[in-house]
Amino acid sequence: MDPAEAEFLAEQELVTIIPNFSLDRIYLIGGDLGPFNPGLPVQVPLWLAMNLKQRQKCRIIPLEWMDVEKLEQIRDQERKEDTFTPMPSPYYMELTKLLLNYASENIPKADEIRTLVKETWDTRIAKLRLSADSFVRQQEAHARLDNLTLMEINTAGTFLTQALDHMYKLRTNLHSGESAQSQDF
Amino acid sequence: MADMSALESGSAAGSEEEMEVLTPAQLIRSLQQAWLNEKFSPELLESKSETVECVLEQLEHMEENLKRTKKGDLKVGIHCMEVERIRYMLNSYLRCRLRKIEKFFPHILEKEKSRAEGEPSTLSPEEFAFAKEYMANMETYMRSVALKHMPPNLQRVDLLNAVPKPNLDSFVFLRVKERQESILVEPETDEQREYVIDLEEGSQHLIRYKTIAPLVASGAVHLI
Repeated sequence: MDPAEAEFLAEQELVTIIPNFSLDRIYLIGGDLGPFNPGLPVQVPLWLAMNLKQRQKCRIIPLEWMDVEKLEQIRDQERKEDTFTPMPSPYYMELTKLLLNYASENIPKADEIRTLVKETWDTRIAKLRLSADSFVRQQEAHARLDNLTLMEINTAGTFLTQALDHMYKLRTNLHSGESAQSQDF
Repeated sequence: MADMSALESGSAAGSEEEMEVLTPAQLIRSLQQAWLNEKFSPELLESKSETVECVLEQLEHMEENLKRTKKGDLKVGIHCMEVERIRYMLNSYLRCRLRKIEKFFPHILEKEKSRAEGEPSTLSPEEFAFAKEYMANMETYMRSVALKHMPPNLQRVDLLNAVPKPNLDSFVFLRVKERQESILVEPETDEQREYVIDLEEGSQHLIRYKTIAPLVASGAVHLI
């Protein structure tokens, strides 16, 4: 899966916006939204929030965890523990990226938040590399990966699974090849 | 405003005709899950043609209503965006299946041939037609380009052996939807012993597809 598809899924997450227009309830296939009244907060999926934002029809309220203090805690926790800690949202990276790119003026201390999330991400990816390395070394057949997010899995996942497939192929061919080899020579 | 109310009733109408009563929102979610599973699974999964048809029905209904409304309305724009998003997911799902059919066609057709009466097919009727046609075209092409120039004893090719099989041994990531007990994990090397694991609800794992293939089919685990 490429990052754009992970982003597509993240865009379904709900965010709160404050619209500056009024509109009755709308009945989408995926569920009802609204009604929209100027100044009154309402929950919409991120794809709609970003579209309205780009047309300057709303203000996006930052997600509850997009806060320097909370993110510092999360980052420190992530650095302290050896395992992956739970993230505030399964799409934390995508949401940060989208919101900071398209609505950074609605989010206080956007730059600090960007750095904190990036630091957390880096720590997690480093852990992921380490555990992938030991997984391959010990030739494990199963691993538990709680708290990893979709984006993280897909950053390392395709490469890792392909590598494992190749190794498996080489190993099984080695076994079956031993008897066949004598005929070739 | 009459056109608008017609548009709004659109989302509620389609669900009654379905076999299981799903709300449109649940329908979209099951399409999304089918899409993701198909994307990450090495083999072609069972066709979800019922879901696909219901989603198409919803989309057509909505587009029909949208045609009757005036342009430039904010509401119409939002509906259009949603329709496009769902269409993207649907197209991506169907394309992904077609790619697999093109890749593994002899094996998929073989499986279809040996399928017992009453067992659900992995292919929708359209996909079956596509696979057969693809197979026929492939054979004609090979014959006209290469085989007929070969010595007579080499003019046959067995596509079942020539085309690689889906690699069921490949590793996949999954999230557990319903708790499963006693999954047998086969050893990687001769020195290791096989062992048993439990899959807790909500936990995530990296494991060989073969081990959990039935769980993907039953919906107990989701591929990620």
